[in-house]
Amino acid sequence: MVLADRNSETVRNGRRSRGPSPNGHASDSSSEEEAEEKIRVGRDYQAVVPELIPAPDRRPEQCAERALLVWSPTAEIPDYKLDEYISLAKEKYGYNGEQALGMLFWHKHDLERAILDLANFTPFPDEWTVEDKVLFEQAFQFHGKSFHRIRQMLPDKSIASLVKYYYSWKKTRSRTSLMDRQARKLAIHREEGSEGGSELGSNTDSDSDEKKWTIHRGIRRKSGSPPRPAQNNEEGAAPKDGGAEGGKSSCANCGVACTHTHATPKGSMCNTCYQHWRRTGSVRPTTGPVKRDRHCHTLLRHKRKPPRGMYINHDDLVTMASTTSASAPGAQGEQMLKAMDREIVSLKRLVQNNKQTLSSYKRKTAEGIEEFRPQDSNARINARWTNDELLLAVQGVRKYGKDFKAIAEVLGTKTEAHVRSFFVNYRRRYNLDAVLKEFEAENGPIVETDEKEEKMETDGVSSGSEASTPTPSASSPVTVGSGANAPNAKQGFPKAPVGPGQAAK
Amino acid sequence: MTTQPHSKKRVCYYYDSDIGNYYYGQGHPMKPHRIRMTHNLLLNYGLYRKMEIYRPHKATADEMTKFHSDDYVRFLRSIRPDNMSEYNKQMQRFNVGEDCPVFDGLYEFCQLSSGGSVAAAVKLNKQASEICINWGGGLHHAKKSEASGFCYVNDIVLGILELLKYHQRVLYIDIDVHHGDGVEEAFYTTDRVMTVSFHKYGEYFPGTGDLRDIGAGKGKYYAVNIPLRDGMDDESYESIFVPIISKVMETFQPSAVVLQCGADSLTGDRLGCFNLTVRGHGKCVEFVKKYGLPFLMVGGGGYTIRNVSRCWTYETSVALGTEIANELPYNDYFEYFGPDFKLHISPSNMANQNTPEYLEKIKTRLFENLRMLPHAPGVQVQAIPEDAVNDSEDEEEKANPDERLNQASLDKRIAPENEYSDSEEEGEGGRRDQRSFKGRKRPRLDKLEPKTEKQDGDEKGKTEEVTKMDTKAEIEKDDKSGIAEDLKKESNLNP
Repeated sequence: MVLADRNSETVRNGRRSRGPSPNGHASDSSSEEEAEEKIRVGRDYQAVVPELIPAPDRRPEQCAERALLVWSPTAEIPDYKLDEYISLAKEKYGYNGEQALGMLFWHKHDLERAILDLANFTPFPDEWTVEDKVLFEQAFQFHGKSFHRIRQMLPDKSIASLVKYYYSWKKTRSRTSLMDRQARKLAIHREEGSEGGSELGSNTDSDSDEKKWTIHRGIRRKSGSPPRPAQNNEEGAAPKDGGAEGGKSSCANCGVACTHTHATPKGSMCNTCYQHWRRTGSVRPTTGPVKRDRHCHTLLRHKRKPPRGMYINHDDLVTMASTTSASAPGAQGEQMLKAMDREIVSLKRLVQNNKQTLSSYKRKTAEGIEEFRPQDSNARINARWTNDELLLAVQGVRKYGKDFKAIAEVLGTKTEAHVRSFFVNYRRRYNLDAVLKEFEAENGPIVETDEKEEKMETDGVSSGSEASTPTPSASSPVTVGSGANAPNAKQGFPKAPVGPGQAAK
Repeated sequence: MTTQPHSKKRVCYYYDSDIGNYYYGQGHPMKPHRIRMTHNLLLNYGLYRKMEIYRPHKATADEMTKFHSDDYVRFLRSIRPDNMSEYNKQMQRFNVGEDCPVFDGLYEFCQLSSGGSVAAAVKLNKQASEICINWGGGLHHAKKSEASGFCYVNDIVLGILELLKYHQRVLYIDIDVHHGDGVEEAFYTTDRVMTVSFHKYGEYFPGTGDLRDIGAGKGKYYAVNIPLRDGMDDESYESIFVPIISKVMETFQPSAVVLQCGADSLTGDRLGCFNLTVRGHGKCVEFVKKYGLPFLMVGGGGYTIRNVSRCWTYETSVALGTEIANELPYNDYFEYFGPDFKLHISPSNMANQNTPEYLEKIKTRLFENLRMLPHAPGVQVQAIPEDAVNDSEDEEEKANPDERLNQASLDKRIAPENEYSDSEEEGEGGRRDQRSFKGRKRPRLDKLEPKTEKQDGDEKGKTEEVTKMDTKAEIEKDDKSGIAEDLKKESNLNP
C-alpha cells in the first residue's frame, strides 16, 4: 500500500513539537498514529538491493579506498615517547596533537626525523586578528547566531570559519562568566551579611565596585592585608592594615604587587611609582576605577584580595602598557598574553593528566592486594615456620623493616604477633640487624613505636641529648622491645620528629 | 552463534575536519560541531593514535543515487540559502525547509557524512578492518526522495548497500531514541537486511516503529521494532537489548553488522526522553562487538552535545578495547564539560515507564516473529554484476567559485604523504601509471576525484590561506615529490 499523500506538516513538525510525552500508551495511541505515519512500500521508497558478488569474482583490491589515510597506529613507538613528542610539538612549536601525529606519519613513524622537521613548519598563525574578534563579538551581539548576517560585517571570513570561531569563542565567554559567577557569589556572600568575618567581606557598597572588577577581568589591586572582620569597618581596620602592608611586596602608592619595592618617605613603592616620585617629586597619580585620594581608608576600599593564587605581576603590566603605546601596537603585549595562554593550557593539561593518574592509582589500590596473594593464602594461620615462610619473612624485613603487620599480610599464614616473635627469635640467626640496615639505607631510619621505647625515648630527649638528627648509628640501629638494650639504642638513635621516610606504623 | 571475548580489533575511523563547521541554523538542535568535539576528545584521550584515521572523500551524486532518487539528489546539489526562493515547490516536495533547513554547505555536509559511511563499508568489504567508525554518519531518517528529521542523505542505507555486495545478510541495529524509519523503509521488502530499532514510541517523532510493523513481501519478519516508553534506564535497556539481539543473531546469522549509535537516548538529551548513561549506551556497542563480525558504527541523533561527545568517545574506546579514565583530558572544548569534567554521567531520577512486564510482553511477541524466520536464509547465486565502483566521473568537483575552501580539496594539493599506505591500488596500475606519466604534482586520490590541471592552478593561488599542515606539504611538494615516488615503490614491495 502506498501512502503517497502524507501529511507533510506533521512530519515536519514532528520532531520538535512531539516532544517527550509523559503518557506512554504505546499501543493505544498507535492506532491513530498508524493513520498518518506508516512505512511505505513501492518502487519509490525501497532501495535497490545489489546482488551478492560470489566469492571467486570479488576484487576487493580493486575497490578504491575512497578515503585518505592520515594516520595509522604503530607498535614501534612506546606510548610515553609519543606523549613526549606530542607535548614537544605542542608546547615548543604550537602544533596541535593531530598535526604532530600527521608529521610523524609523514616521516613513516620515524620519530627523530619528525622532531627535526617540526621546526621547519610553524603552524599557520591565527588568522583572526584582534579587530576581527572584536568585530565578531559586536556582530554576534547584533545578530545572534545568524552567521549570514555576521558575515556581512566580516565579509572576508567564510561561514565555516565563523562557525568554527564561534564554538571556540563561546567557551572563552563561559570562562569569563566563571569570573562573573565568582564575583556574584562574593557579592551575594557579602550581602548575606558575612559579619562573621569572611576573608573577602569588606564594605557593603561594594556591588558597583564588584562590577567594575568584573569588567577589568579580575585585575585587582592586591593588598597584603590580612582578613578583617567586616563589621569592624574601614575606619577601624584601616590603620592596622596600612601598617601591616607597608613593608611588604606591594606598592604603597598604587597597591600593585611587585617584586622590588623602593623605600621612600611616602612608603615603599613599586618601580614605576618610585621613578615618578624621584623625577617629579610628587606621588604618581594612579588611575583606577575610582579616584584615589590620599586617605588611607578610601585606599583600602579598593584593596580586596584577588582570588587565591591570582596576583598582578607589575613588571608585566609595565611591558603591556609600554608596548601598546609603542609603534608596534600591542605586539609584544599580545605575545606575552599568548605565551601566558599557552602556559595556562599546558598547566590545565597537566592537571587533568594528574587527575587521571591519581584516579587510576586510587582504583588500583581499592582493588587491594588480594589478587596478588598466592592461592593458598587461605591456608590456616599456623605458628610453625616452614623454610619458605622463613625466607619470605627475612625478605619481608628487608622490604618493610619492622612493619610486622605488613610482613604478616604478605605471608598470609602468620599473624603480626608471629612475625614479631620471629624477629626476636631469629634475629641473630638470620642476621636481621644487617637486613634492617639495608632497609634503612633505602628508606631512612626506623622510628620506634613500641610503647616501652617511646617512654625511654622521651626520657632520652628530655635529658638533653642530640634531639633531631636522625643519624642511623652503625652499632645498633634499632631495637626491639627487649628492655635491656633499649636505652643503649636510644642514645645511638634518637627519634626523629619527622623522619624522611619512616617505616610504616 | 558464538561470541568472542573482549579483544583488540583493528579499528578504522573516518573523519573530516570540515564537518564541525556546518551549521543548521539558529536554534536548531542538530549541531555537527559535536562530531568535532568527539574528535578532539578522542585525540586528547590518546585513542586517535590507536586507530587508522581516514579522511573520507566526498560521496558523489552517483553514489548517492544508489539509493536516493536522481531528482532529489539534483535538488540537494543545487539548493542554497540564496536561491531558496526559486525552489519553493521542490522544497515542499522533498520536505526541506523547517526541520531540515537549507544551510550553507548543506550538500557538502551530506557528501562528507555519506562519504564516510561508504568508505567504511568498502573497508569492511576488503576485510582490511574489523570495526569502522563514522560519527559523522547515522542519519537514519532520510528517505529515498525526502529529507526528514534533520537527515538529508541516508548514509546508512548507502553503507549497507555497499556491504550487500559482499555480504549475504546484513544486520542493522538502531539505538537512537527515534525510530530508524529511513533505513527500515529502504529495506522493508528484502530478506537480506534485518533492521532492528529500539526507540521511544507513541506521540513521538517520526511516528512509525510499531511493534506490529514487521516488514512486507519477502522482507516480512525482517523488520524488528521495539517500541519503548519514557525513562528507559540502563538496566531495562540491557534487559531487552541483549536477549533480542542474541535471538536475532541466532536466527538471522548476519555476516556484517551496522550499529547506529544515536546518542539522544542518553539521559538529559535536549530532544530525547530516555535515561541511559554513557555506560549503558556503550554496553550495546560492547555486546554487538563480541560477535566479532565486520562492524560499522555510525553516529546519529544526540542534541546535548557535551554528552554526545562523551558517549561517542567512550564507545570508540569500547571498540578499541581500551579503558579510558573517567577524568576528561584537557581538550579544545574542555570548558563545555564543566562543572565536573568527567566522562561518565549519572542518570536522572525520572520515572521509568517501561515496567518489566511490559518489556517481557514485547520480548515474547518479537520472539514469536523471529521464530517465523527460515533458519539462516540460503545464498542465492546470481549473475555477476560488475565489481565495486570506481566512480571516476564527478561533476560536482568542478569548482564552484564561491565554494568553501574545504579540507579535502586542500589535502589534494599536498604531497603524497601517505601514498605508500594504500598500495593495493598501485600494483594494479591504473592510478599510479596515470600519474607517473604526467608527472603530476598532486598525485593522490586523483582517480577518485579527478581534477583538471587548471583547477590545480587556481587552488595554488589560495595556498597562502592554507592551514599549517597543508602549507607544509605544499612546500614539500616540490622538493619531495621524488621521495614520494620512492615511498610508493617501497610500499609496493611490502604492503
